[in-house]
Amino acid sequence: MVFTSFNFLVFFPTVLVVYFLLPQKFRWVFLLAASYYFYINIKPVYALLLAGVTLTTYIFTNLIAQTNSEKGKRLYLTLAIVLTLLPLLFFKYFNFVNEGIYSLLNLAGLHLQLPQISLLLPVGISFYTFMALGYTIDVYNEEVEVEKNFGIVALFLSFFPVVMSGPIERASNMFHQFRGKLQFSYEMAVSGLQLMLWGYFMKLALADRLSIYIDAVFKNVDQHVGSSLMLATLMQPIRVYGDLGGYSLIAIGCAKVMGINVIPNFNRPFFATTMSEFWRRWHMSLIKWLTDYVYTPLSFAFRSYGKWGIVIALNLTFIISGAWHGAALNFLVWGFIQGVALSVEMLTRKRKDAFEARFNLSKKWWYIMFGCVFTYLLFAFSLSFGGDAATVPEVLKIMERIFTDSLRLPYKDGDTMLYGFIAFSILFLKDFMEEYYPGRILLFNNKNNTVRWLSYYTVIFLIFYLGIFSGEQFVYFQF
Amino acid sequence: MEKEEIVSRLTPVFRKVFADSTLVITDQLSALDVEKWDSLSHMLLIAEVENEFTIKFKLKDLNKMANVGDMIAIIESKL
Repeated sequence: MVFTSFNFLVFFPTVLVVYFLLPQKFRWVFLLAASYYFYINIKPVYALLLAGVTLTTYIFTNLIAQTNSEKGKRLYLTLAIVLTLLPLLFFKYFNFVNEGIYSLLNLAGLHLQLPQISLLLPVGISFYTFMALGYTIDVYNEEVEVEKNFGIVALFLSFFPVVMSGPIERASNMFHQFRGKLQFSYEMAVSGLQLMLWGYFMKLALADRLSIYIDAVFKNVDQHVGSSLMLATLMQPIRVYGDLGGYSLIAIGCAKVMGINVIPNFNRPFFATTMSEFWRRWHMSLIKWLTDYVYTPLSFAFRSYGKWGIVIALNLTFIISGAWHGAALNFLVWGFIQGVALSVEMLTRKRKDAFEARFNLSKKWWYIMFGCVFTYLLFAFSLSFGGDAATVPEVLKIMERIFTDSLRLPYKDGDTMLYGFIAFSILFLKDFMEEYYPGRILLFNNKNNTVRWLSYYTVIFLIFYLGIFSGEQFVYFQF
Repeated sequence: MEKEEIVSRLTPVFRKVFADSTLVITDQLSALDVEKWDSLSHMLLIAEVENEFTIKFKLKDLNKMANVGDMIAIIESKL
């Protein structure tokens, strides 16, 4: 079930009514049932996989907690990691490995036909796998107490607002909420609904609108001039922000209405002045997860190499992140660009700080703006390698065309460009005010009823006026 | 080794890693208080501390270091 589907518009209010009518102690049980119903609705057989990962997590976390010897704990941890990761690796890389073997055999003169399985990646598999791994490692590191109640673990891994695309939650944040009093709070419900409203705006009015232009251009690269390619490349980060950022807000909002706090996923990413700051604001739950469970162990292992150890760890982490985004060379390039950018920033930081201090730059508006624009351009460039159909030679061809063929007028799609621009300007203004003038102009949180409701209606109107209602999927579902 | 001695040997290490010659270490000091203390410089700090005291931390120890007080306690347990 997709958040933007009609089904969800029936499902969510129904869940809410039953949830709050039930006595408090049964609410988490109902949430678990609702979450599985939500997931089964996509494809029933995939729910078995989710249940399997849940069972593995439950059994091994309990074994780790009960075992006294360090050796035993390590063994269970290793087994748990392998078993939890297997389904994800299988679904994600089976055909990639298969094709690799096929072409190798072909090269050797053997024309064997290997079984090609058309596998659709089970929705959300990456997200619940990461959550399960995080919880297991936390138990091993004695950072969270093991959960004895199987139902709570099952709810943690299947919780419907986050199961399909995150935010990638932590046991330490969710368990105590599920175990505690799940009660109605007027403030949380209002704030949750506000977040959902913005989320729908970002997805329907912005992301899906820009997708029309971006897809039109990138699906027919040869027919478009360099300036169109440049425009589409520049729109990509905004599209993904609208899509995944919007999805996250709907997810966080949903949970909030039910009295549950979910960690944030985006924090006005386009106001980052460096790549390292950008990655503290973009897809934050994934980066936090990667930092804790990939980067930290790697940089710890390489710590005797000093700064270069960190450079290696950074690059490996982002290459792994790239490989997770997709089994193809272009995603590795995407990861490598992030790794290199972050390494350069780290290695030159002292000099940059001194330079900024000498000319007193860090508070100058034009310097901040330069940093934001540069970071945005770098990310937009890297993102062109992050597309599904973008092979490395294709992206290089696009880049070449952008630099050699951008003097002609771009492909014009008046409605899309105008509506997309309006939607982006609204979001940009909102983020800008929250970033630099927090609390200066209150709309959703204005004490005046008229202003507040007028803002709600305006956003609702804008969603219907600017939005696209073709049941587009969210980009990150394919992970 | 007395705690005071650990603190006096830790101070120059912290000052060097975070390039701040006036940094004063307290038990409560944490990454939230030092601007340059992020996930990148943290590992440099760990490696320098290991060298200073010729000890080896475990990855598990790192997770238990919420502030300098925790770090000192772990160093003490290894000496």
